[in-house]
Amino acid sequence: MKLKLLNDKVFKNILIITTSIVLLIGVAFFITLILESTSSISKFGFKFFTSTDWDPVFEKFGALPFIVGTLLTSFLSLLIAFPFTFAIMVVLGEYFTKGFISEVLRYLTELISSIPSVVIGLWGLFFLVPAVRFFQITFGLQPYGVGIFTASLLLAFMIIPYAASIAKDAMRLVPKDLKEAAYSLGATRWEVIKQVMIPYSRSGIVAGILLALGRALGETMTVTMVIGNSHFIPKNLFSPGNTIASVIANEFTEATGDLYLSSLIYLALVLFLITALINLLGKYILKKIQINH
Amino acid sequence: MINSILKIENLSASYDDKVIIQNINLEFQKNKITAIMGPSGCGKTTLLRCLNRMHELTPNAKVSGKILLESTNLNDNFMELNSTDPILVRRRIGMVFQRPNPFPNLTIYQNVLAGYLLNGIKLKKQEADEIVEKHLNLVALWDEVKDNLKKHGTFLSGGQQQRLCIARALAMEPDVLLLDEPTSALDPISTQRIEDLIVELQKTVTIIIVTHNVGQAGRVSDFVAFLYLGDLIEYGLTDTIFTNPKNLQTEKFLTGKIS
Amino acid sequence: MKRMSKLNKIAILAVLSIGLFGMFLQSCQKGEKATTDKVTELLGGGATFPYVLYSKMFDVYHQKTGMKVNYQSIGSGGGIRQIKEKTVDFGASDAFLSDEQLKDFNAPILHIPMCLGAIAITYNLPDNPQLKMTPEIITDIYLGKIKKWNDPQIKALNPDVKFPNLAINVVHRSDGSGTTFGFVDYLCKVSDEWQTKIGRGTSVNWPLGLGGKGNEGVTGLVRQTPGGIGYVEVIYAKQNGLPVATIKNKSGNFVSPELSAITKAADTQIPTDTRVSITNTEASDGYPISSFTWLLVYQEQNYNNRSEERAQALVNLLWWMIHDGQQYASALNYAPLDPKVVKLAEDVIKSIQYNGKNILK
Repeated sequence: MKLKLLNDKVFKNILIITTSIVLLIGVAFFITLILESTSSISKFGFKFFTSTDWDPVFEKFGALPFIVGTLLTSFLSLLIAFPFTFAIMVVLGEYFTKGFISEVLRYLTELISSIPSVVIGLWGLFFLVPAVRFFQITFGLQPYGVGIFTASLLLAFMIIPYAASIAKDAMRLVPKDLKEAAYSLGATRWEVIKQVMIPYSRSGIVAGILLALGRALGETMTVTMVIGNSHFIPKNLFSPGNTIASVIANEFTEATGDLYLSSLIYLALVLFLITALINLLGKYILKKIQINH
Repeated sequence: MINSILKIENLSASYDDKVIIQNINLEFQKNKITAIMGPSGCGKTTLLRCLNRMHELTPNAKVSGKILLESTNLNDNFMELNSTDPILVRRRIGMVFQRPNPFPNLTIYQNVLAGYLLNGIKLKKQEADEIVEKHLNLVALWDEVKDNLKKHGTFLSGGQQQRLCIARALAMEPDVLLLDEPTSALDPISTQRIEDLIVELQKTVTIIIVTHNVGQAGRVSDFVAFLYLGDLIEYGLTDTIFTNPKNLQTEKFLTGKIS
Repeated sequence: MKRMSKLNKIAILAVLSIGLFGMFLQSCQKGEKATTDKVTELLGGGATFPYVLYSKMFDVYHQKTGMKVNYQSIGSGGGIRQIKEKTVDFGASDAFLSDEQLKDFNAPILHIPMCLGAIAITYNLPDNPQLKMTPEIITDIYLGKIKKWNDPQIKALNPDVKFPNLAINVVHRSDGSGTTFGFVDYLCKVSDEWQTKIGRGTSVNWPLGLGGKGNEGVTGLVRQTPGGIGYVEVIYAKQNGLPVATIKNKSGNFVSPELSAITKAADTQIPTDTRVSITNTEASDGYPISSFTWLLVYQEQNYNNRSEERAQALVNLLWWMIHDGQQYASALNYAPLDPKVVKLAEDVIKSIQYNGKNILK
């Protein structure tokens, strides 16, 4: 009996220690970001958010084009991903919950999520970019091929499995009781999906979307390879642009000046804040739409 | 005078090639309460679910035979349910389940109107209010919830939830109401209230109730059908069967020797 | 009972992992001590451009002398940072340190040239004709002043080529890199406008164009975009058979980026510390966008409790690299050092000291 109690205590303490280590790392991470970006923060302050300069030679830094690029690609990719996510969610969550088709589809979506982002980027560069360029030539646009739209398409492809798999699980958790109740009232299958299953699983669906958005915000390699890496605010959806994560990945290794490095870390801090803000917003939405059981 | 509203002819149902009920012939009387009884696994719930074509929602389920419902059309006397759109069937034959299952994302008010909402039927505010009040009154829930109509139904007690579900089914003005062991998840007091309600409701609707509980069948039903291993063993007036069962299995079940 | 044993296991695992971590820490300390006893491995890091040549050299050197050299190609910026933090024996950089950067170091740093690289201008035109370019045209294209391939200036210079009415799609590096530094360094020298507006650095504020990550990114964009133009390392252009322009040098000769022309680019006045940019070279046959790549070492080798053996091993390696090591360059498409430069490099290596005394006599 004594041994059992002791074991419990040991276990509890290990849990507490490991949890606090994770927490500590999170706090340390934030503090480091702030400390390392102090010189940039004191030099540019809030102008960093509104300035479009990014000149490492003359040491003038502003994040606006990258903030715009980041938000644009993330939300556009979400928009593109939505109908596909929705379709996969309904097909796997209701029509084919088990059996051959379900297995194949599930396997394929999981496969997509396990492809390294460099490989997806390469595929984008050699397949998607020429395809987009073909359309640009057809419609008389500048034939860049790369740009915000291409990056969003590729991001959408990457985030669909994440959003779909969580949303699908949420759909499957809808109690059989409720579905039957709806059927017994004369609802069609689509009406059951629309009026019962989706409202019931919406918090799961939103959670999936949030996770996907997080992935889209922070994705680096894939975006870098197809976005065109231009430091201007994109004029339209087909313009080249850049995202925060992509700029950091591109320039960090060769950033020599102190202010330059500090500004890159300031960028990281901005991304951190954007992500945190979106997560908070997501939490708020989740709370709003939560169903009491 | 015999006035059948629903007839079953040679009804058989299977699931995954396993036969659950076979060759059942039965007629249900209008505005009467018929109890379907029998030990666990005898097929009574399946029989019930065949009546509003819910059985076929289960994958690999099969049904054969005829189910005839009194037609609303004056030319025919009966319509064949298996060749009718299941959506229409279910609007005329409502159902209440073992566990209370109000929609958690809807308010009490919306739950009563769920059938209309699901089917996309638009109602005027006044019409909707009338339907809600009428049916909540029918199930004797109005006084208890009239101040909380905009709240979600999930805070109600189990018995109240089940009465809400009955109101939800009745709101569609069905001809037949199927009750699948409606009190099995409830406490004795709630059960008592539901039973009283069922007896009250037969004025407006034909009721078919599946029950495991001999006492309940005796208390509420006018007719009893006794199922055993997928066969219909005995059918008749409740009083007759309870006092003088013809079949040995029926007697054993009634006296609690099999369950 | 079962539950308890599970808890037991977790506890044991946790204790074990903490123990392992401790041992790991200890072994790290031990490792540091061990190297002071007998030197078997040198550590270096930096530029990616010479990585292939360095790997070859270090491989041969290991077979010949038993001395291992661990080189991490983390980029020139990283190489500079690492030698500044004294975590490596030598850093490697495609750009020399500016006077300002040198002041940041608290001890004198030496530059030892190792080989030369050059930057080629590649393009994507129908049938990829051989093009001639002048510094003015290159600058104007990258400033966005020349927008079409059938611009009169380009046509006049290449009378035999039929140019389509095609927009020029400018491509540059998106990542900070020595290649960018070399290219814009050249533009600064040939254009006052570039010098004042854009300046030089491993990343600059490009007035226009798309960015590609790495040589492969730039190549990919140029190859795929009709009318594309970009700059890549010569070695990369050669390996991939890209079309490259011949460029007019300071003496007025059009030179293509051949290894001999790159080596010859250093046939000019080189200061004794070798910190010089040879872009826009005076050498009459030199390719104008060439540059050295250097290793960086501390002049005083006694720092961080380094042993004299270690300093000696480093000096031996450097000496071997500028002499015997040079023979491996050409085969790998790197331009070897000119004998005149080797002489200068020798003097630099000879000035390396331990406790104030020269290591090589």
